[in-house]
Amino acid sequence: MLSRLRYTLRETFDSFRRNATLTLAAIITAAISLLGVGLTLLSQKGFDNLLSKWEGGVEMIIFVNAGASADQLGVIEGALGNNPQFVESFGYCDSQCSLNEAEIVLAGEPGTLELLTADNIPTQYKVVPTEGTDVELLRQLEGAFSELPNVFNVQFAEDQISLIGQLQDFFGFRLLLLSVFLLLAAVLLIWNTIRTAIFARRREIEVMKLVGATDWFIRIPFMLEGLLHGIIGGVLASAGLWAWNSQWTSGVGEFPDGSGFAALVVTDGYDKQVMLIMLLIGAAAGAIGSGIAASRFLDV
Amino acid sequence: MIRLENVTKSYSAEVVALRDAGFDIAKGEFVFLVGPSGSGKSTLLRMLNRQDRPERGAVWVAGRNIVDMPPGRVPHLRRNIGNIFQDYKLLLEKTVFENVAFAQEVIGRPKHVIKQQVPAVLELVGLAGKEDRLPHQLSGGEQQRVSVARAFVNRPLILLADEPTGNLDPATGEGIMRLLDRINKTGTTVVMATHDQRIVNTMRKRVIQLDRGVIVRDQARGVYE
Repeated sequence: MLSRLRYTLRETFDSFRRNATLTLAAIITAAISLLGVGLTLLSQKGFDNLLSKWEGGVEMIIFVNAGASADQLGVIEGALGNNPQFVESFGYCDSQCSLNEAEIVLAGEPGTLELLTADNIPTQYKVVPTEGTDVELLRQLEGAFSELPNVFNVQFAEDQISLIGQLQDFFGFRLLLLSVFLLLAAVLLIWNTIRTAIFARRREIEVMKLVGATDWFIRIPFMLEGLLHGIIGGVLASAGLWAWNSQWTSGVGEFPDGSGFAALVVTDGYDKQVMLIMLLIGAAAGAIGSGIAASRFLDV
Repeated sequence: MIRLENVTKSYSAEVVALRDAGFDIAKGEFVFLVGPSGSGKSTLLRMLNRQDRPERGAVWVAGRNIVDMPPGRVPHLRRNIGNIFQDYKLLLEKTVFENVAFAQEVIGRPKHVIKQQVPAVLELVGLAGKEDRLPHQLSGGEQQRVSVARAFVNRPLILLADEPTGNLDPATGEGIMRLLDRINKTGTTVVMATHDQRIVNTMRKRVIQLDRGVIVRDQARGVYE
């Protein structure tokens, strides 16, 4: 058993040394292919982060009749507080707060602004829903809260919410498709490069079979070699991904505050997960691809 | 040791490589397979090594019918059969020592055994002192000797040689034949396909002649006709 293990390890590393060009080709192919997959996954996550941020800014506003008493406000707050599955948070904007907002919103309509006073301006509850892009749910909430006593009006930015939902569907599906496509391409490229390398050694495999080597005795050094190609390629791809992500994050950080693009980054450790995925894909594609490629020449 | 019973092999409707071939070869015999190119010599050798299977008939090697042998058992069969080829089939990136040792590594021989047996076999074939050479640093005759050493290092029951002197000059070819004769005298059965008239006529061993897949002559102490 020990002699077999020694043989396997020796053959694997000898092969690395003897077939340096093909080894390098396999590693580079793996690295580039895996980097493509990793960048797509990161892009998807960055975009999701951006949409979540926009989604998190979505509010529903419940306008309350001016002069509503504390008990009457308590009824509305009770309705909001008793539905945590729909309402993530809410805040009350009293008459002064509403006036201050009106001065900003109606700055271009001084005539309308003059008519508003602290006594007649509706107060507001600003509600952050749990599902900010579910237009149907928001309509249902609008309908339900409109029925509450002393509620003057309920509003939400239906158009913007629809747009965010459309963007999620559009990009989400396409980025997923791209990831799958690149993943398949990566596996095929790695497999093809390994197959080419093994083809160059078909004579060696033939001789091994003729002197009585079993199929697994022949396959295992090739599979180990493929595994190493995939892992080294994965490490290089991870280094590339880390460098890209660092550059990207610091670049996005220079965008103006409130530009809305600050969230287009991945900083929550997801990049580490992607690196692990790339390593696993590289290792699996390398080992399995080599095993399959070597098997083609075992029919002697 | 070897028995063929009504072995037939065709590669297409027009190409029949062997037709109802049958013979017995006893342990320790030395047999030449002779005949023109395309007569079926190499096909017959491939049958004995389970590189190919006949459509009909049986091939018995060391008491086992190898035609229906499960694929998983074929490597074990081949460990009892040494093969020598016209083109040597050496591993070009390995040294002489490593090429011969490979046949022992495949069967899991421990390192200390390999270190003893390989030099002994290299001495037998006249390559002592050349263990560290690579194949391209050897002459054709020397490369064939390495091939013989690799085939013989595990003391196989049978040695199959397919035109081993085909790429060698007459003098070198004679040297290889003396080696094979010496190996045969240790008890190994040798079956050798050849075109080399001179060798067949000199050695006067059993001759099985093939012509278009049919055995037309089987003669003890025969000559090349």
